Amino acid sequence: MERVIHILMYAGVATALFSTVGVLVMRNVNDRLHYLGPPGTLSIVLIAAAIVLQEGASQFGTKAIVCALIVFVSNPVLTHATARAARVRQFGRWSEPEDQRKKAS
Amino acid sequence: MTNVWLEGAIALIIGLIPCGIVAFRGDSMNRLVGLEAATVVVVMAMMLLAEGYHRNFLFDLALMLALLSFGGGMVFARFLERWL
Repeated sequence: MERVIHILMYAGVATALFSTVGVLVMRNVNDRLHYLGPPGTLSIVLIAAAIVLQEGASQFGTKAIVCALIVFVSNPVLTHATARAARVRQFGRWSEPEDQRKKAS
Repeated sequence: MTNVWLEGAIALIIGLIPCGIVAFRGDSMNRLVGLEAATVVVVMAMMLLAEGYHRNFLFDLALMLALLSFGGGMVFARFLERWL
């Protein structure tokens, strides 16, 4: 069991480290944003799973789950908002084409 | 006896260096991406430190950081989109 816990923990840490290197190496914002996904979804779940396996259904385990859940939900939203902001800064605001607006109304 | 949780936390803290480099260079959008990456890494490092030292309040810090960084990141993204 201890080996499984260590594997989960180190897998989470390794994924996060590779992602940070990816953030550094990529050239522009959109490429870099792709590397925000793995630590916010995979790594945090792996680390929380390792903590839960170690501690069981204790206060530590519950807090690890809540923490992972918050990051798991909020990180994609934040990434999307950042990508949207980058796009608006680069190309300006976009509006619906005229014919689609007429169809909607 | 080595504590694997602390080893993981130290590795993650070293992983803050690339995020810091991105956050200190380039234009403001790239800096924001570096900041967001650093925040997620710090949350995980706090969790591992909490487990390694077996301190409950460090989990609370990680929890608060995860919550507040979401609000902060959204505000940054909105400001960069509209005014800055």
